[in-house]
Amino acid sequence: MGILKKELVLSNKDAVNDDGEENPEVDISESESESEDEDVKLTERSKTSIYNRDGLLDKLGDISWPKDVDWRHKLSLDINQEQEVDVNDDLARELAFYTQALEGTRQAFVKFQSMQLPFLRPSDYYAEMVKTDSHMVKVKGRLLAEKRKIEEAEERRKARESKKIAKEVQAQKLKERAKQKKEEIESVKKWRKQRQRNGFEKDDQMGLTFEDGKTFEKSTKKRPGVGPADRSGGKANRVGWKGKKGGAGGKKGRDFKDSKFGFGGRKGMKKQNTAETTNDIKSFNKSNLSENKKRKR
Amino acid sequence: MENKVEEKESDSTAFRNKEKVLVTCSRRINYRYRHLMMNVVLLLPHCKKDNKVESKESKGATLNELVELKGSSSCLFFECRKQKDLYLWMAKCPNGPSVKFLVNAVHTMEELKLTGNHLKGSRPLLTFSTNFDKDPHWKLLKEMIEQIFGTPKDQRKCKPYHDHVFVFSIVDDHIWFRNYQISVPHNEADKVDRGGLDKMNLVEVGPRFCLNPIKIFGGSFGGPTLYENPFYVSPNQVKDFFHLLKLFLEASD
Repeated sequence: MGILKKELVLSNKDAVNDDGEENPEVDISESESESEDEDVKLTERSKTSIYNRDGLLDKLGDISWPKDVDWRHKLSLDINQEQEVDVNDDLARELAFYTQALEGTRQAFVKFQSMQLPFLRPSDYYAEMVKTDSHMVKVKGRLLAEKRKIEEAEERRKARESKKIAKEVQAQKLKERAKQKKEEIESVKKWRKQRQRNGFEKDDQMGLTFEDGKTFEKSTKKRPGVGPADRSGGKANRVGWKGKKGGAGGKKGRDFKDSKFGFGGRKGMKKQNTAETTNDIKSFNKSNLSENKKRKR
Repeated sequence: MENKVEEKESDSTAFRNKEKVLVTCSRRINYRYRHLMMNVVLLLPHCKKDNKVESKESKGATLNELVELKGSSSCLFFECRKQKDLYLWMAKCPNGPSVKFLVNAVHTMEELKLTGNHLKGSRPLLTFSTNFDKDPHWKLLKEMIEQIFGTPKDQRKCKPYHDHVFVFSIVDDHIWFRNYQISVPHNEADKVDRGGLDKMNLVEVGPRFCLNPIKIFGGSFGGPTLYENPFYVSPNQVKDFFHLLKLFLEASD
């Protein structure tokens, strides 16, 4: 029967195709109609499908438990869902399920409490859980990682903003300093002019004091290990400044390389008195046996 | 095989829920659906997992025999077709109704985003949305779910305390399932402090799935069709539609 249905549907679509237009909605929602004599025909969307109300209710009566069974056997609750939930809105749907569960649990707990049954797990009750401990460790790890990511993102954002602000503040400060400098120079010039005008009076009376009342003071900022005449920028005393690479680098120096690759060859194994070398006569060159070695070449 | 030892005005203490669920799957099942099945086995302490069931021709008869052999009163059969589509059969045996669902939106407990945890074997609280009472077919489904997913009270492997809650909700003619862990600050086992209920918090444990009822049969894995879902579109039809659409678009270019 199922195959027949499909063929029907397909042929329908083919016919439609020939016409050059496709009407998908009708085809998709079509479901086969099959009616039997004793069944109640239900028409929905102009289709008929089996809906045997009486049969269903009969079966329900067959299988259901007696009416007065204690609620403790069933533990089931019916929660009213007020508003229609849109299936495709994930958040709303999950929220609806959550509220249903919450409401149900509240009602159940009230019932339990009235029956005075223990229903909450004590903190010292340890038993096998549905998810293993190792799995929960993974879950925890993931949660922590997520939290860390969020925190890092927050920190980065804050750092970025504070950098911006710091830049502005810095710019402000520089401007102020420049202004101050200018003003001081101006005031000195003014003072000089005044003195000139007054015909260079005695030096004791300084009509103008510097604004903040302080004379030149040594800067109190300390730079450890750096003397005032140091021109190296403070890097002379840096630890590890021993030639190119310190002790380990020295080992890879000339000697090492020579001994490995150069004409020195390997340190050992240069000459050996073994059976092969004893019987090796290649080095005895026949051509120069009869020669006069003392003759200068 | 419920053992209803009672008279008309039965004393509820004489009722004993002896529900046992057999959980099996078909061969060539996808890893995700296999994990879902394992999760369901974890959630139901009154279930028994069995080996994979072979071919589909004599499906009805074999399964009924299997259920009877194991002495179970109901069955959850996970059937995976083409390694892509999962159908769930929920049946009350030996002569109870059975339902075939198409399962969507599967998330297993192993997903790290589902962070809750609860006692293995504690009895769940079942919550149903009120639209289960609107139509007879929903009522029937509700009764079946209640019996299959609810752990019997004095079951051997069940643990005390209630620390998780199941949600069965009908949205868009699909049954959505969620499982939440209940966490409420408390000091004693049998009462909650004032205001404790307000501080209650639910964490999702999983798994998650969505059931689309296809057909309800009068017998177990067969029998007269009592209900057919008019809105159901089989995955094959969906595939065909998209295939034809693609051809049409290519042809019209």
